[in-house]
Amino acid sequence: MATTTNEREFPITTAQLARWYDIVRESPPVVFGIKWLKRFLFSEYFILYLTIIYFLIMTERIQVLDTPLNLTNVLANAWPLLAIAIGQTFVLLTAGIDLSQTSVMAITSVVGAALMTTNVDPLKFQNSILWGNIVTEEGGLLAGHQYAVELAILAMLGIGLFIGFLNGMAIARFRMPPFMVTLVSMTFFSALAIYLTQSNNIRGLPEDFIKLGEGDIISIYVGEQVRQISRRDVLSFVTYPLLIAAGLGIVAHVVLSRTVFGRHVYAVGTNARAAEVSGVPTKRTIILVYMFSGFCAAVAGIIYSGRLQAGRPTLGENLLLDVVGATVIGGTSLFGGKGKVLWTFFGVLFFVLLSNTLNLLKLSAFEIDIVKGSIILLAALIDVTRTRLLARES
Amino acid sequence: MKGNARKLVVLAVLTVMLVLSAGVPYYTGQEAAAQDDITICFAFQDLETEFWVAGHRAITETLRDMDIEVIEVNGNQDANRQYEQVIDCIAQGVDGIILIPQDGESAVTIVGEANDNDVPIAVFNRPPSDDNPNDAIVVVADNEIITQQAVEYMAEQAQLQFEETGDKLQPLILVGDLGDPNAVGRRQGFYNVIEANPDLFEDPIEVATEWDAATALANFEAAMVANPEVNFIFTSSDFLYPTIRSVLEPMDKWVPVGEEGHVILGGLDGDATACMLMLEGYVDATGVQDLFYEAEITMDALLAAIEDENYWPNEIIPDPGFALTQGNIEEREMDMWGCVLYDEGFLDE
Repeated sequence: MATTTNEREFPITTAQLARWYDIVRESPPVVFGIKWLKRFLFSEYFILYLTIIYFLIMTERIQVLDTPLNLTNVLANAWPLLAIAIGQTFVLLTAGIDLSQTSVMAITSVVGAALMTTNVDPLKFQNSILWGNIVTEEGGLLAGHQYAVELAILAMLGIGLFIGFLNGMAIARFRMPPFMVTLVSMTFFSALAIYLTQSNNIRGLPEDFIKLGEGDIISIYVGEQVRQISRRDVLSFVTYPLLIAAGLGIVAHVVLSRTVFGRHVYAVGTNARAAEVSGVPTKRTIILVYMFSGFCAAVAGIIYSGRLQAGRPTLGENLLLDVVGATVIGGTSLFGGKGKVLWTFFGVLFFVLLSNTLNLLKLSAFEIDIVKGSIILLAALIDVTRTRLLARES
Repeated sequence: MKGNARKLVVLAVLTVMLVLSAGVPYYTGQEAAAQDDITICFAFQDLETEFWVAGHRAITETLRDMDIEVIEVNGNQDANRQYEQVIDCIAQGVDGIILIPQDGESAVTIVGEANDNDVPIAVFNRPPSDDNPNDAIVVVADNEIITQQAVEYMAEQAQLQFEETGDKLQPLILVGDLGDPNAVGRRQGFYNVIEANPDLFEDPIEVATEWDAATALANFEAAMVANPEVNFIFTSSDFLYPTIRSVLEPMDKWVPVGEEGHVILGGLDGDATACMLMLEGYVDATGVQDLFYEAEITMDALLAAIEDENYWPNEIIPDPGFALTQGNIEEREMDMWGCVLYDEGFLDE
């Protein structure tokens, strides 16, 4: 039998190696291991498992990570991000992308605040075109009105829907690339928010509105019984942002999984041409998806504005990476047709936990962004590989 | 089948990398101290200008020299990120917080969060907005008065020029982000002098900078093209001098004091670049914030509050500052922090 140089040097033939490989591959522990690995990697709870593993590993190294106060912080950071990421999930499912979400947050934040503020500094706003009509020395147009908060929120949500409608129309009717359309939207509405306020923040928001960003409905105390509990030991448990984000998430989940519209969204993302031929109203679906994305961004704008107690023209300026990152890490495919609201929730949890641990590790903002960027890239690679493998398996 | 197995292995490796890459920074990050008695969280908004770089260095080096653990967090000009960083600091059980906020409005929110959690907080140089209901140590320069002093010297030079030519001067101010009370004070100080001399000055031109060099360049360039007669410029921050130079130089307006075509120029901060330009004769006056005094008094006040277990210290500590001018530079050069740094070779680093 002819042997290669290597076979002469090493007393093992390739045939022997192949036989051993077959034996090992078919041995019960390895078969079990591969099955377990497949189940783990292909599970729809994949990112949740990763989050738990990551949390357990880091708990060993960061002592305060699992303290009630820190866990409260993690969840408080998750709710507004979840609200905006749900909208991005719908858009990614149609194989699109919505870069304008952060500008929707900014414009809705300043318009809502301008309408209901009770405290305006003339020096800051006298050069604004809002001065004298929407904003005066007495405050915003709705200042002191019985339903100021409700009306301002309606205006904010309406603006979000309108911007989403514009995006959707441009993409569906004129077949413009989503990346380009939403990039232009982002630039335009971010600049408009700064122009309207001349780069000034708007304070003096009503307490009822601020509550939506940080207010507790149920607080808890974990510890020994004492006569007086200090404020820092009282932890938020059920908060307004939680209710808003969870409510939005449940509605979005039901719409995606239990309605005809949800099926249309998946169909458009999987193959738009095939969906159109099959009678799916693709244009209407795309327009509605972008409107929903704008709506979710406006909801996030409400939560973040309440949290920061101000209308801010630069709100969310650096948030896009977090939104797309959390959604993609959750498993929603950038190529469309694959994703769930629940996965996005897991992705958001992983992402805020990651940000929290990076903060606790005392890294600089630049290092944090480098790590986040790397992880999003890895997540995208994993997504591509999983998708191909799942396709072959099925 | 073999291809599938290979991809499965790749997927497993990627997954392990994902978990590990998230944990890698632990090994590169600063070591957690926990043994030290006092831990202070230093939350700053960015280190874009010489003033913040020097302030950051002064605070962190001094605290570490005192064996105090410092947790540094950089908000990277994002108010929400800074808010999240501060609540993460509070979760770590820090004894005190030194804050350089993104703006006066976010300072109010963050100070309120510190008050709610019984953590004393000191706000360095950029105060909370006027309607702040919360308690903090606020160390801040009297921007209006310092600006006024610098612009008064510039107005004296303008008066000499007016007497020579008989023409009113066209002033221009580069205004900072008006969400920052420092910017508001500096603008007011400038107007106090301009409005007091109606026979000397035309109506001023305002250029918005939003404390951003790129925005300042675009707006300043446009203003100078539209108004080439501008011959009196005040910048609300010294970090914009390179921007001003890049616009004036091609217009042959970047000329030292005493030469024909000199634009009367002044600013506020007192950084190393301003010092160099004053020594070279391009800048007439600069308002000086006493950075080293501000850093020292911030730390002293915060450490005293921690020692006294005073969780809600409420105190405004002013920095009187002064104006360094071409008239007093020989006597007061080394009173300006930027000149100390310039002398140490800061600009060569």
